[in-house]
Amino acid sequence: MAERAIEDGGNGFESPSIAPIPSGEQSVWADVSSLLEAACDDLRDGELIHGENFNLFAAMSALEIMDPKMDSGIVCRYYSVDEAIENGAAPVPLSFDRTIDVQCIIDIMDHLLACEATWHKGQSLAQTVFSCIYLLRPDRTSSHALLHCYCRIIRATCKAVISVVSDARTHEEEDLFTMAYGLPLNGDGDEKCLSMLNAVEETISRQLRACKAPSLKKRVLEDIEPLQTNSDLEEGYCKALLCRLRFRKHFYHVLTSMRRPQGRGLELARKHIASCLSELDCIRRSSDFLRSSACNTSEHGVDDRTTASGCQPIGFDATLNSRLSAPTPPRAIRTLSWEKAVEYFEKLLHDLDIICSYSLDPLFERVLRFVVQFQKSQPDLVARAHLQVLLVQDGKLYGRDPIFSVISRAAALPEVTKNHDIQKNEYVLQLGQLVINLLKILCTNAAWQRRKLGKILQDWRVIHVQLELAFKKEFGEMSIIISDENVCMKLAKHILIWVEEQTYWVAFRFLMLGFELELYSPSEYCMVYWYMYVVLIKLAEKTHLKMVASNDIAKRKGKKKRDSSKDTARDYQIPPAVLFLQCHICLAEGLTMMLAALRNEHKVFQSPSPFNTEDERFIQHFELLQKACIPDHISYLSFKESTTYARFSTLVMYNYFKDAQRIAKELKSSFSNDPDRVAELRRIEQVAEHNGVALNIICRVGSLDPSLKVSFEFSHHPYFAIAVVKRS
Amino acid sequence: METTNEGETAAVEVEASDIEYVSYGGEHHLPLIMRLVDEELSEPYSIFTYRYFVYLWPHLSFLAFHRGRCVGTVVCKMGEHRNTFRGYIAMLVVIKPYRGRGIATELVTRSIKVMMESGCEEVTLEAEVTNKGALALYGRLGFIRAKRLFRYYLNGVDAFRLKLLFPRPEIDLSLPMMASRDDSHMHTDHIPPEESSELHQGL
Repeated sequence: MAERAIEDGGNGFESPSIAPIPSGEQSVWADVSSLLEAACDDLRDGELIHGENFNLFAAMSALEIMDPKMDSGIVCRYYSVDEAIENGAAPVPLSFDRTIDVQCIIDIMDHLLACEATWHKGQSLAQTVFSCIYLLRPDRTSSHALLHCYCRIIRATCKAVISVVSDARTHEEEDLFTMAYGLPLNGDGDEKCLSMLNAVEETISRQLRACKAPSLKKRVLEDIEPLQTNSDLEEGYCKALLCRLRFRKHFYHVLTSMRRPQGRGLELARKHIASCLSELDCIRRSSDFLRSSACNTSEHGVDDRTTASGCQPIGFDATLNSRLSAPTPPRAIRTLSWEKAVEYFEKLLHDLDIICSYSLDPLFERVLRFVVQFQKSQPDLVARAHLQVLLVQDGKLYGRDPIFSVISRAAALPEVTKNHDIQKNEYVLQLGQLVINLLKILCTNAAWQRRKLGKILQDWRVIHVQLELAFKKEFGEMSIIISDENVCMKLAKHILIWVEEQTYWVAFRFLMLGFELELYSPSEYCMVYWYMYVVLIKLAEKTHLKMVASNDIAKRKGKKKRDSSKDTARDYQIPPAVLFLQCHICLAEGLTMMLAALRNEHKVFQSPSPFNTEDERFIQHFELLQKACIPDHISYLSFKESTTYARFSTLVMYNYFKDAQRIAKELKSSFSNDPDRVAELRRIEQVAEHNGVALNIICRVGSLDPSLKVSFEFSHHPYFAIAVVKRS
Repeated sequence: METTNEGETAAVEVEASDIEYVSYGGEHHLPLIMRLVDEELSEPYSIFTYRYFVYLWPHLSFLAFHRGRCVGTVVCKMGEHRNTFRGYIAMLVVIKPYRGRGIATELVTRSIKVMMESGCEEVTLEAEVTNKGALALYGRLGFIRAKRLFRYYLNGVDAFRLKLLFPRPEIDLSLPMMASRDDSHMHTDHIPPEESSELHQGL
């Protein structure tokens, strides 16, 4: 995919010695054919006349005709779909022997499932699902009800999936995913696919009943023609077809009910998801029967086969569409195996089920936690797109809650806000846009997400400054104390604190995703944990401020009857949410100091390089944070200052890991109804315990035993490493 | 792309001093580079892609010879990119029997030196996340993994964008105040041009 320009306008070129001749009124057209012809004689194969505008884009766009690695127009087997059909590549019916016909259709169904999963996993539709010749000519199958209804529901399903992914418009991998030009996605009558499918399903279930019925009753049912001719296989084939048809039906229902506005179809979708999973199970179990009754044994290994029977399916040719997949060079696409495809759909359905069982919580903070938790299982594009279109519809949360009301709830704004003019403020509106963008970004894949989060940090910083200025202008200078008298000022203050809190949350997630994406090398861990530590301190501070402010409101409300002096006398407790962050802070600081001490005393985890220093690596890793002043006054120098004097002797005296462990232990009871956070606290405890022990060992024997090797692993937590000490 | 050597092909007896490094010297070197890259990397490049690099930046391309046989090469470019003058390492190949002897390091170091002397502020490249050999080599030279590019190569493998920043005398980190943007990020931000190239590192 090098087809996009790399060079912008030929900047990297050595300046041409001859100025280009401008075409204008004075210029005269002349025939240069003979000149060109003469010049051509001088050119040998592979040479070119080097023009100023010849850039990498042009170079990489050049194709060598008839080179199979580049020329997607090379005719492989058939020149066209029609030629393939004429040559009998996709007969209807597949065989006049009805048993073979049924076998072949099941193979087609299975191979299509494998193609569909391959498409979802990032290959083009044209070279996967639409490598099926039957799908490409919708009318040809009309005489064959079973094949016809299956092709229809496949096309309708593809359309529904493309629709959700293109509505999500995340611009990550979907430009290839949604590319469907030249493909007959809208077969005539495809919208009636369900009723046709139901009719076929009904027929086959009657055939199944008939073959299972005792011979006495058979006479009554005699008017029912069996599915195929071999009565020993009738039951097996009926069952194999039924679970495949029912899976398609329920899957289509899942996709459509999930798209109902404001999440109204989620409950129904869950029922269909459960049905899909049980049909998938039947499909899987049908494999033994299909393999044993298959006509030919497969030359493929079990891991490669794309059908349950192991037979090669009839009617597929991936090369037919390779010209449609231009501008990419032709590639042989590796279709997922049938087993892997079934696994993929199981995962997809589980991911969709998590979305459907979500309570549509109106609290923004919990939405964020849900999305982050959801992303931990690395859902694929289709599931993520569904989550995104559920979260953001018509510019509202779940298509239901206006963004300003989401913000005011999240920022704990006082009740008066509901109809307050503040929501019409230009920058408050922009803030709403940022919130929507943030939600969308959090639904994208980790690699893309991190890049986008890095970029929006600046926007969040800027909106904070703009809001601050706008509020100042409107409500006058803000005092530090939130006074009862000025509601506007109070609103402004709350919003500003909340914006800062979100900014640091985004920054923290940005840093954290770096671990997930393996962007940091061990010699950089020290500065990364240090940066995490300073960001977390700010995040905890802002979260605390927000909670104090909201408590303030709550107190004032309930205070009216009581004596206020009693309230202030009550001893103050740090809220659990802040303490939760506090354990992260302890771990980050503990790891920073342990790594710093290892560098200072053991001279490990340093990486001198010939061309630059750690300073440059620091700038590069945290460039986006630094540009947005997150936090203020932080530089490589401050990192050096806080780590240069780290020594094991002092670390053991003040053990950060012990603090983390203690707080985590105490906090568990506060989150007893939140299993995700309890699990996180447990992980934190484990990391803290391991590192506490490691710290003691290094301290006790480290200076005596030079063969001591320390490495870091992420076996207990995705971004907090544990130190592993070994004697080499 | 295969990265390291042991076992695959019998390693050749080579003294470091036996390896001769030369800057791109003209048309006679072009087929040598093309054959090496073609053999070791999966992506198809037309002759024009090679010409683009070696004609514009011959001083950034190097070849390694052992007793007259070309065993490694590096192909690079440099130019203005979003207000920075940056170098780009497009292809780096050392044939299997010669790997693990520092030939790739020497080749790429020579290119980086020329880039630095020519006023580049940074050097970038992409490498497959599975290419441990390349990642370790560039890590030793001071490159960081700036970002991960999801399914960057058509074989479905992610890539890392690696970056090497040269020291600067002065660094300005003041907050550039952006004018508010009307358009949303989700819609305006397409893949930046440089991210759609897919040049490889095979070593």
